[in-house]
Amino acid sequence: MFKKWMGAALAVAGLALAATATAQAADPVRIGFSIAQTGLFAAAAPSQLNAYELWKEQVNATGGLDVGGTKRPIEFVMYDDQSNPEQTVKIYEKLITEDKVDLLLAPWGTPMHFAIAGVLEKHQFPMVGNSAASVQLRDLKPGNIWFPTSAIPDRMADELAKMLTANGAKTAAVLTNQLPFSLEIKQFLIPALDKAGIKVAVNDEYPPDVKDMTALLGKVKAANVDAVLALSYPNDSILYMNQAKEAGIKAPFQFVLVGPTIDFFGKMFGKDLDGIVTIGHWTPAKADWPKAKPFFDAYVAKFNANPDYLDSALAYMSCEILQQAVAKAGLDKAKIREAISTMTFDTINGPVKFEGVQNVTTPTSFLQFQDGKAQLVWPPEAATAPYKPRT
Amino acid sequence: MKPDFRLLSAFFFAAMAALPLLAGDYYQGVGFQLLMWIALSQSWVLLSGLTGYISLGHVVFYGLGGYLTVLTWHIIPLPLAIPLSGLAAALFAVLIGYPVMRVRGPYFVILTFGLAELVKYIVINVEAALGRFGRLMMGAPDLSTLYWAMLALAMAATLLVVFIGRSRFGAGLRAIREDEPAAETAGVPAARYKLAAFALSALIPGMVGGLVALRTSYFEPQQIFSPTISFTVVTMAMIGGSDRARGPIMGALFLVLLSELLWANLAELYMIILGLLLIGFVLFAPTGLDGLLRRRGGR
Amino acid sequence: MDLLLSPQLLAAALIAGVLYALVALGLNLIYGTMRLLNVAHGELVMLGGYVAYWSFALLGAGPWPALILSPLATGLLGDALYRGLFRQLLANSALAQRIEANSLLLFFGVSIILQNLVSLAFTATPRGYQPFAAMVDLGAANLTGGRLLALFVAGIVTIAAVLLLRFNTVGLAIKALIQNREAASLAGIDIEKLERWSFVAGFAIAGLAGALVSMVEQLSPFMGFPYMIAAFVIIILGGLGNLTGSLIGGLVLGLLETYGVALTSPNYRSILVYGVFIAVLLVRPQGLLGRARIVR
Repeated sequence: MFKKWMGAALAVAGLALAATATAQAADPVRIGFSIAQTGLFAAAAPSQLNAYELWKEQVNATGGLDVGGTKRPIEFVMYDDQSNPEQTVKIYEKLITEDKVDLLLAPWGTPMHFAIAGVLEKHQFPMVGNSAASVQLRDLKPGNIWFPTSAIPDRMADELAKMLTANGAKTAAVLTNQLPFSLEIKQFLIPALDKAGIKVAVNDEYPPDVKDMTALLGKVKAANVDAVLALSYPNDSILYMNQAKEAGIKAPFQFVLVGPTIDFFGKMFGKDLDGIVTIGHWTPAKADWPKAKPFFDAYVAKFNANPDYLDSALAYMSCEILQQAVAKAGLDKAKIREAISTMTFDTINGPVKFEGVQNVTTPTSFLQFQDGKAQLVWPPEAATAPYKPRT
Repeated sequence: MKPDFRLLSAFFFAAMAALPLLAGDYYQGVGFQLLMWIALSQSWVLLSGLTGYISLGHVVFYGLGGYLTVLTWHIIPLPLAIPLSGLAAALFAVLIGYPVMRVRGPYFVILTFGLAELVKYIVINVEAALGRFGRLMMGAPDLSTLYWAMLALAMAATLLVVFIGRSRFGAGLRAIREDEPAAETAGVPAARYKLAAFALSALIPGMVGGLVALRTSYFEPQQIFSPTISFTVVTMAMIGGSDRARGPIMGALFLVLLSELLWANLAELYMIILGLLLIGFVLFAPTGLDGLLRRRGGR
Repeated sequence: MDLLLSPQLLAAALIAGVLYALVALGLNLIYGTMRLLNVAHGELVMLGGYVAYWSFALLGAGPWPALILSPLATGLLGDALYRGLFRQLLANSALAQRIEANSLLLFFGVSIILQNLVSLAFTATPRGYQPFAAMVDLGAANLTGGRLLALFVAGIVTIAAVLLLRFNTVGLAIKALIQNREAASLAGIDIEKLERWSFVAGFAIAGLAGALVSMVEQLSPFMGFPYMIAAFVIIILGGLGNLTGSLIGGLVLGLLETYGVALTSPNYRSILVYGVFIAVLLVRPQGLLGRARIVR
């Protein structure tokens, strides 16, 4: 008789426990964003989306995102912005006002970041940006958007000129794709080179749909410069790599803007990629950043491809920053804003601190491929390997 | 029961006018887009629907107008800049219209595309020469203002198609579509009429471009001259019906509603369904929704 | 001056020209014979590229299998689409009235589906490969292996196609079809069979072009658009339905791209290309070699 009651009591107790357990199983934290799944930027966006997915997976594996003390699983609310800034504006308005997400992550691309700055401002919803780089970023009001990148055109121009001087380059050729980022860099680069006393022997632009660079590269070869600075995008970067080789360009310093950090580029060019300098401020080779190599390895394990040294790293960093801010401040927007504006964050790229909208701790750096690996070669104080002229 | 389209359209526009007062930012944004597509598709019908000269480069007027608005930003007050942008686009159409409209059929189709691309690359070069690489437009008017302006444009574009469609000018255009040499023999001044249609079709898109540039507060030639816009306009007009004013309204409404409904799913899935729909339309409803309704006894 | 006369520049012009001509040839076979506006042509190039990439990655026999597999894959797709969709379109007289507009929409639907299916299957992450790491030194000019192969294969196929169509009975039949469909049918030509083979051939050639292009460019699901545009510009420039015209048009484009840029400045590359295209059409509304119609 007693046993029966005991059994019933235990059963009820068990049920009650189970009920409270499920009641306590935390509701998910909903994080919204848009990404270019179709359209012009669709080929570039996966490197960012993958980093987001990796982060979510890793965080959820530890029980969820730490929201001011409680762990809650992350749930993404994602839309395709079709590479269209107008669509992006609409999506972020929907995320904030209709879907009422708890947090936001950034879309891919500078135009998108600019387009939604107004929306974030209007709704006072803080978001950490990533894949955007332009001096016009500084014109945006701080408080709702921040940019962890250090690859800002004017600083890049200065550093590039310094790097060239440090390596004894006296002449240069600058080839620029007529897209906003590359044009912006050129605008600062030419004066910087002039100031450094480097003679710009060739200074040409070309439209984004160029299919052949033989004429241009023939000119560069004839000018016999010490440094070739190709401010190019993946399609023309490929053209450059192949056709510069055909033209027999042997300049010791060769810089290719966008392309080398992407996984397929290394696979496509193999040994030929060695010696090429490109933009980037992250490398798994930096021992000072304990989180760097694990991120690299985890990415490779999950996606069977290398992360993009620039975009994937930045995307992951923005997630880490959000994560650390939310751990401290919970989901209150004002507190998150305060946290992001004041904290120093520990990321895969070392420490990050913002002043206004910009990251002031990460120096503007350059990567160089050596033996198939990306090494940080500038600034010298932060380098993981010394710069080697291209042979 | 035949749907009375005049009543329905009036009701539609009234509802759209009331939207900002009732709905939040997001739905206003959707409404803004819907009105934009209506304005653009109606102006396309004015040219390509009525004359049969299918243009794949309609975005050129939109882009030019947008560019002018951006160039005069903070220099000329907006209520002046927007109409000026429309006029500039129309002027451009007048300047090139005569030789352009001499080209026929598929040659015209690709010519218009080439034209849009040419203008895009010229603007890219001009911007590069000016040292500009994407322009941030700070201090744009708020969404509701832009919304009502777009509503006005959509209504104007619709009315334009209605009145021209019923006029002698419109009859002449349709005659050109049916058989141009015969129309000319019958006394239709084809070259002049085509030029007029071309110029008129540029007016509204020029203004629409300006409004959209302000809405996204970021201008870049690649975005504002995007061929996708031309293609979408053609798609909407063909789905809705490219002969009368009700066609673009139905086509735009249909596609915008569809995209809103399917958004939650995979982006690629929405696109695939869209592709299947297009194929279905061609095989089963080649004269568009308008044609379908007419067949079923509507007016 | 040295540069202008250099063999390197000539080689580059020829490669660009002959690849353009190849892509245009496939489109002309479909447009010229059946007036079908194939705006999915770029997606066929893209598909050919993906087949080539996977055959290279999985078969390990270099780029050679791709030269057969890519055209085979796209050719089969063409056959399926012809029998499934386009035969209906061509046979239905009401639809055939506005065949350009209708085929434009049909192919537009096909292109959207192809792009997004590939994106779903392989993600939008770009891919690339180099079948030949080495450079080939031809004495006066240096070319990467991929580009040399492209020159060779595209050159042979385009010239063979043009010659074939000029001197072979099938070729003459196709020309007859292009000139006047009804008369050709009255003359006893099996229209449907001919149309089907033109359709398949057009698709197959696009696939081959894709295989060649994939060795020198990055692959992604949405890469096809510029190829489609270039193909249309060339066939219009050369004159619709005129296969020799598209060969010439392709070469003109290739020459403009290289020599035009060398003579002016690289910024003007696209302005030159589209500018010349528009100028030619405004002066000759039927294209360089197209049949004239009275235009006022």
